[in-house]
Amino acid sequence: MSLKNKKKKKKSRQITRWLDVFALLTWGILLLKYVITSQIKLLIHPNYIGLVLVTSLVLLLLAVIKGLQILRSNPNRDSSSEHITLFSPRFSSSLLLVVAILGLLIPPNVLSSQAALQRGVTDTLPLTRFQPQSFRTSTKPEERSLLDWVRTLNAYPEPDAYTGQKANVKGFIIHLPEFPDDYILLARFVVTCCAVDAYPVGIPVQLEKSRANYPQDKWLVVQGTMETATLPAIDKNDETETEKRQLVLVAKSIEKIPTPSDPYDY
Amino acid sequence: MVQIHNAFTLFLSLLVEAMPFLLIGVLLSSSLLFLIDERQLITKLPKNPLLGAVVGSCIGFLFPVCECGNVPVARRLLLKGVSPSIAISFLLAAPTINPVVIWSTWIAFGEQPFIVILRVLFSLAIAIFIGFIFSNQTNSQPLLQPTLVKRLTRWQSNYDLNKVNLEQKPEKVSPLLQSGSFLLNRGQILAMDASLGEKRPDFLPLPSKLSKFYLFSENVVQELRELGGMLILGSAIAAIIQVFVPREFVLSLGQNAITSILAMMLLSAIVSICSTVDSFFALSFAATFTSSSLLAFLIFGPMIDIKGIGLMLSVFKPRIIIYIFALAAQLTFILTFIYGYMF
Repeated sequence: MSLKNKKKKKKSRQITRWLDVFALLTWGILLLKYVITSQIKLLIHPNYIGLVLVTSLVLLLLAVIKGLQILRSNPNRDSSSEHITLFSPRFSSSLLLVVAILGLLIPPNVLSSQAALQRGVTDTLPLTRFQPQSFRTSTKPEERSLLDWVRTLNAYPEPDAYTGQKANVKGFIIHLPEFPDDYILLARFVVTCCAVDAYPVGIPVQLEKSRANYPQDKWLVVQGTMETATLPAIDKNDETETEKRQLVLVAKSIEKIPTPSDPYDY
Repeated sequence: MVQIHNAFTLFLSLLVEAMPFLLIGVLLSSSLLFLIDERQLITKLPKNPLLGAVVGSCIGFLFPVCECGNVPVARRLLLKGVSPSIAISFLLAAPTINPVVIWSTWIAFGEQPFIVILRVLFSLAIAIFIGFIFSNQTNSQPLLQPTLVKRLTRWQSNYDLNKVNLEQKPEKVSPLLQSGSFLLNRGQILAMDASLGEKRPDFLPLPSKLSKFYLFSENVVQELRELGGMLILGSAIAAIIQVFVPREFVLSLGQNAITSILAMMLLSAIVSICSTVDSFFALSFAATFTSSSLLAFLIFGPMIDIKGIGLMLSVFKPRIIIYIFALAAQLTFILTFIYGYMF
């Protein structure tokens, strides 16, 4: 009887160890898949892609080493440890395995206008981030990206300084409820580290017709000129409706484009 | 459905960003298990209580472990006769004051360098302060778990006895002339008495490179599994809060100077996310919470959390843990509140 129990225990330990190997293996594959398919751009800042690639290779290597060790070593060997754990080892490795498999099955999505509305879109940058190093007048207005515009506006916020300048920007559509019917917000998410801190910035665009023609989350390239307009805005502190004088892009031509593979700006 | 997909994407983004740092931390801490000789380290520790607390909180640089790895290390240090004040300051500071954690914090908050700098400074200050307080207690027995004390006193009395013996009999008597049972081990002869536990001789087989590597990889996988499981739960909580909790609620909590700090401290205690990657977790609150509350999260989280308390119970008496907990919480609150008030 006791021998049977021992055998059972041995077997269960063996299963746990193989679970570890599979967890390492699937995580290695998952990270590698993200890097190869460029889906990683939807998750983290491109600076860290190399780091993720190395991590995936190390994980795969570890999985191979562990697998070989289990095949070679005798299962009686006890892994001595001074670790006191909250979860059982099997629970932890199963959790890792399940999440990695889910990650392989479900591709990451592009953050939507809904997420942007929840995070609060502004034409100003949060105080602590992306402080422009200098007021960039050297770039031609029509070459500025949407983020460049927001950065420029942040450095020198007076809208009249830019009226009449040509603009050519790319972004996705957000319908702000407080805007009139012929206005959309053209927005981009800005990422510093990973999608978790993606921060939406946007510029109001004046359309020639109702925004119903331009559904949310569709991507546009808008060309036009900058003008100053007074638009209704929601006060951040007491949530009352106020008015705000701000820079708007009066659209001359609007081109619908598919969602780009690198939807975030950095 | 879109919401769930968004939450899942954020969840994965946290995991993918954190995984490299988790791996680096685990690889380093596992390799240092073999590279650093704790016994040698202990002989070099200063006796002065304040200096001891300072050094204790900087040992983290040698042991880049996060809060799950530091309790076993602190326990080993205590068992080897390090004073509790050094062990406590090590326990509190090591998860923050180490190169991997500082690096990952820098990547997450590089745009706001003061968060990185203050995280280190405040954690150091708190660890040294609490360590200094406990250095008044020269006798470690009232602080520690009874079972640990038993082992400690047994070893210490053995140690003292041995010392007395050596002083009385400078000429070492060959073990062959002594009575009792002996172990033969690689040319050494070891008496099978209580001193065996203290010496902890390495028995056969001699640790070959291969078996060392086996232990190393075993340790890596074990830590990766434990911390990875924790990371998954923490990331899931962060993603769910970010997507499903109404923004108005989060903002009303997060913009107030006092409630934001309290909320983040509570969150840090509950979430128990590993300190090598907790800055990415905090980053998900960067847009909605005050920076002083993020700082509170980054300082308090590594010191105290639910998982950590479970581990600490194996070393200290519950009363002592409550003291440490209360002191750390108050100091974190005061320091971050002053910071929030000043800037």
